[in-house]
Amino acid sequence: MKRGLMHDFTLLAILLIPVGVALNFVSSQVVQLLKLPIHFDVIGTVVVSMIAGPWVGATTGLATNLITSLTNPTSLFFAPVSISVGLLIGYLSKFGMFKRLWTTIVSGIAITIAAVVIGSPISVMVFGGATGKSIDTVTGVFLASTQDIWTSVFSSSILINSVDKILSVLIAYFIVKKMSDRYLSKMNYGDSFIQEKRNKYAVNKKQIAK
Amino acid sequence: MPNKGNFILNLYPSTKFMLPLFVTISIFLVPSYLFAYMMLPLCIAIALIAGVAKQFLNLIVKGLLLLVLFIFIIQSVIAPGEEIIWSWGIISIKEEGVMLSLTLTSRIVAIASAFLLFFRITSIRDISQALEKVGMSPKFSYAILATFQFIPEISKRSKVIMDAQKARGVETEGSLLTRTKAFVPVLGPLVLSSIANTEERAITLETRAFSTKGKKTSLHKLHKTKTDMSIQILVIIFIIFLAVGRVMIWN
Repeated sequence: MKRGLMHDFTLLAILLIPVGVALNFVSSQVVQLLKLPIHFDVIGTVVVSMIAGPWVGATTGLATNLITSLTNPTSLFFAPVSISVGLLIGYLSKFGMFKRLWTTIVSGIAITIAAVVIGSPISVMVFGGATGKSIDTVTGVFLASTQDIWTSVFSSSILINSVDKILSVLIAYFIVKKMSDRYLSKMNYGDSFIQEKRNKYAVNKKQIAK
Repeated sequence: MPNKGNFILNLYPSTKFMLPLFVTISIFLVPSYLFAYMMLPLCIAIALIAGVAKQFLNLIVKGLLLLVLFIFIIQSVIAPGEEIIWSWGIISIKEEGVMLSLTLTSRIVAIASAFLLFFRITSIRDISQALEKVGMSPKFSYAILATFQFIPEISKRSKVIMDAQKARGVETEGSLLTRTKAFVPVLGPLVLSSIANTEERAITLETRAFSTKGKKTSLHKLHKTKTDMSIQILVIIFIIFLAVGRVMIWN
């Protein structure tokens, strides 16, 4: 299957973008309903990037931040974070990093690093360290003890993002694994998820034969 | 274009976009925080004329007040400086910190309020139609419009799935671990059913010749008037004027 910027935007992939954006929104709503202390606002982006590639994923991330900025204008400045998450997950999926559980966790750590390295400078330079979200209180605690804005923003960002992003990638991984082979075969980056399923099936067959 | 009964609402989307464009460029050209803070009254005035002042102010207060407050606190605590205005224990507010936070917040408030107002007075349908006229693929304008349909739809379905899982005995209340575990049984079916839905949607669109090449027609019409052209030209001239003035002062 041909891959790349010009080939990734198939009709099914384009139809996946609104679903991804809506999932980002709804998963953070569900989190609020369940009263969990995490954001989970990238799950849709991660699912879309895994099966439709880096460019469609980046578009989903950008679209999510644009639409969030209709009501919360600060998210507009953090669009580079979502775009980088989409791109990175897409490329990791291209190189088959989501075939095993431990490589998935490693990918989650990679996403965390990307989000921290890109998000923290934006937070410091544009907003002077504040974001207007609950993370600010954590930053404030660090600030009171270290008195250094870069250290405090980086530490609070690592603390919040590591749990958030790694769990998001894991949940997305389990969900994508449950998708039907028929659907995954239509997506440009779905084959690394199919391969594993077929192997599993072969093992089961052997056991049955015994 | 259908008449929306208001001068500002009737403008072409790209004319309305002149507002955030002008604000974003001009506040970096004029380095005074007073000028940047003047943008908020300007936006409120436009919102009043357009008749959306109440929603606009509501969004500003909800989205920006807390942020501005946090910036002030953080900056006044950490910024180095000699001129201490007020101090209590280890916390002291310095003049440099206040000046820095005034500059920072004035820019954030200006840009954010301009964009908020732009999206208040321009409907998404108009924006996507205008972008399509400039040369964006109709597939993407469909995606933009579909997103706004999907969010309430999927949100509704998530509640249905949550109730269904509760009925099956999935615990959604209790300790943190129990609640975290409930997240997957809610989100899993939601993603899988939405994905199945896109396949059906793709077939439906294909039967209506969605991906055929050729000129697409639209029921929603947009027209540029002479007023639009003159406002756009005026704003651009004003920006150039500011830029030239800035360069002159620099030299």
